[in-house]
Amino acid sequence: MNRIRRALAQSLATKVILSTVLLSLGVVWLTGSALYSRLADGIRSTNLSSSLAESRFAFFNAQYQLALSEGKTPTERRKVLAEVILDASTQGVKESRREILFLKADSNLNTSQLYEVDSPILRQQSIPRELKSAVEKNNDLHYQYGTAYYTSGKSSEILFVGQRINVPGAGRYEMYIAFQLTSQAATISLILNSLFLTGFALLFLIGLITWLVVRQVVKPVREAARIATRFTEGDYSQRMKVTSSDEMSTLATSYNEMALSIEKQISRLENLSRVQQRFVSDVSHELRTPLTTLRMASEVIYNRRDSFDPLVARSAELLSAQIERFERLLEDLLEVSRFDAEVAVLEAVDFDLIALIHRAVNDLKVSENGVDSQIIVSSEVPTVAVKADARRVERIMRNLLSNALDHAEGKDVTVTITATPTEVGIGVRDHGIGLDEASLIRVFDRFWRADPSRARVRGGTGLGLSIAMEDARLHNGELDAWGRPGAGAHFVLTLPRIAGEQIEGRPIKVVPLDFHK
Amino acid sequence: MPLILVVDDDQDLAEMLGIVLTSSGFDVDLVGRGDEALEVFRNNPPDLVLLDVMLPGIDGIEVCRLIRQESMVPIVMLSAKGETQDIVRGLEAGADDYMQKPFRDKAELIARIRTRLRRTNSDVTGQLTIGDLTIDVTAHEVQRGSGLIPLTRLEFDLLVALAKEPGRVFTRDALLSEVWGYRHSTDTRLVNVHVQRLRSKIEHDPEHPEIVMTVRGVGYKAGGPA
Repeated sequence: MNRIRRALAQSLATKVILSTVLLSLGVVWLTGSALYSRLADGIRSTNLSSSLAESRFAFFNAQYQLALSEGKTPTERRKVLAEVILDASTQGVKESRREILFLKADSNLNTSQLYEVDSPILRQQSIPRELKSAVEKNNDLHYQYGTAYYTSGKSSEILFVGQRINVPGAGRYEMYIAFQLTSQAATISLILNSLFLTGFALLFLIGLITWLVVRQVVKPVREAARIATRFTEGDYSQRMKVTSSDEMSTLATSYNEMALSIEKQISRLENLSRVQQRFVSDVSHELRTPLTTLRMASEVIYNRRDSFDPLVARSAELLSAQIERFERLLEDLLEVSRFDAEVAVLEAVDFDLIALIHRAVNDLKVSENGVDSQIIVSSEVPTVAVKADARRVERIMRNLLSNALDHAEGKDVTVTITATPTEVGIGVRDHGIGLDEASLIRVFDRFWRADPSRARVRGGTGLGLSIAMEDARLHNGELDAWGRPGAGAHFVLTLPRIAGEQIEGRPIKVVPLDFHK
Repeated sequence: MPLILVVDDDQDLAEMLGIVLTSSGFDVDLVGRGDEALEVFRNNPPDLVLLDVMLPGIDGIEVCRLIRQESMVPIVMLSAKGETQDIVRGLEAGADDYMQKPFRDKAELIARIRTRLRRTNSDVTGQLTIGDLTIDVTAHEVQRGSGLIPLTRLEFDLLVALAKEPGRVFTRDALLSEVWGYRHSTDTRLVNVHVQRLRSKIEHDPEHPEIVMTVRGVGYKAGGPA
């Protein structure tokens, strides 16, 4: 039942064919039954009138012959009667079987049964009581349909026609002719069968025709759906065929126009973004060579700063520092452009994550002077073997740690490492100024700063966290952030133990354990 | 004074490199085109080549390949691109090292050049045997039987570094600092490419190395004497 319902829901053709066939069934049923009743009635009434005519003649003949036999002996009269009955039973063009009964009327008190003739096969009791009493009432001809009970025990529908007959010297008798209706019933059932057969053939043909017609409509619809699906999947060259000028073709034409316009738009946008990415990448590359020269030149000047007057010396220092900053920014920009162009490649190697984290921490300690914050690394296990891109993971750690130090306000920064067999979580927690809800949403955005008015502590590029996020995603990992104003922030990196595999959970929850509302 | 050939099409950068190198005590030849580099190289053979990747005429990688065909001189590629593909192609063409523009600082450049010019492993002398190879450290020669195997200076240094302590496992970082003179780097491609190049010269079957063997997840080690 469900399958039918699903087939109905899914296929327009099935729906149309089924409803057409069902409606046609109703129409065929109505016309068929009307036709049937008209035909059957016609056959019955023709049969009846011929039967009645024959009967009328037979009764007349019987009455006439018996009237002529007045004055003859009962034996001779019985002979006449036998002839009359034989005549009546063989009379008529129709070969329909008939049985004749010649019975004494109930009102005839003559006890002798001299002239009664029984049918050899039909029982007397078959004659309906109503007919008998009607015949007895007057001289008219009466008929009635009834059931014939045969001596053989069988029964069938039959037409009884009866009339009063006066037998001279013996009083009132009744003659009945029973017309068997077998041939009439056979004709009617033949008609019925033909009607059924025709009806079913008609239904089948209607179904077939509907199917053919529907297919003509559905086929292009299916084709259109297929093409639209391919288009959605990214094959923008797919077009519908326009073969004629019917409604389907109008649809096809407008669809194709839409597809063309979408394709143009997409390729325009793709081109635009490709050009833009290329531009960023080219600019970054082109900047490198002059920057190298600048760098070396400034270094030569910087190294001689002792021999300059203080203003020039300070300028040399500023120049050198800013070139360095410019260089970092360029590197980060290049990295971002690689991510945008989707050419960033993961170079996964086996290494110990704990050792890498310690190295990143030490590097920061070396480079950071004038920061009071301590970085405390705590891990449940001494080593965590991972297969990942060491350069990228180290960069993530460097970015997370320097970000934490930037905002720690001199308080300690804690790094927690928790590993499961499939993934490893690294939490970097600071207890500094923290982040509010609005900032959390934007914290991974490029060049975004929590507080623009706040002075930069170490001259980060503003791309660090966004690159860290991309690096994490490249491993199929995740980078989550948590923060509360005044309660610090918590950045949690979750990486699969083998880069590229799925992470199933977060070994470290982003809401830090030490935070209580 | 050691002579350095600088091949770079950016005149200002070349001049600046010239100033820095001269002030650090090197002689410098400057060439601006790839197709002119080889001629200058032949006329006045340098002790080291600084080679830019993108050059007019023929590109740096091709120049590197041509120089390598006739000389084992140390070659350091300079790359503004820094894409993995470029670096690996340069190293495969025979470069010993590469530096990405902009250089971290002048000191780094000079340090790298000095490392490449220095005769490494000066602490080791005489002969070493590894597998069926005989290494004459003093003469800078590697022999299999009576056949001489030509190696670049860097390949030789790499082999000696491993062979002087057979069986000891060297991490890639350790090799980087020992052979290339890197103080700190996580770019292990340099090691991988050179180990492959070395293997293709000294191993009977580079796919199944018996002399320079990989220790999975750690690094490399040299097999013992045969």
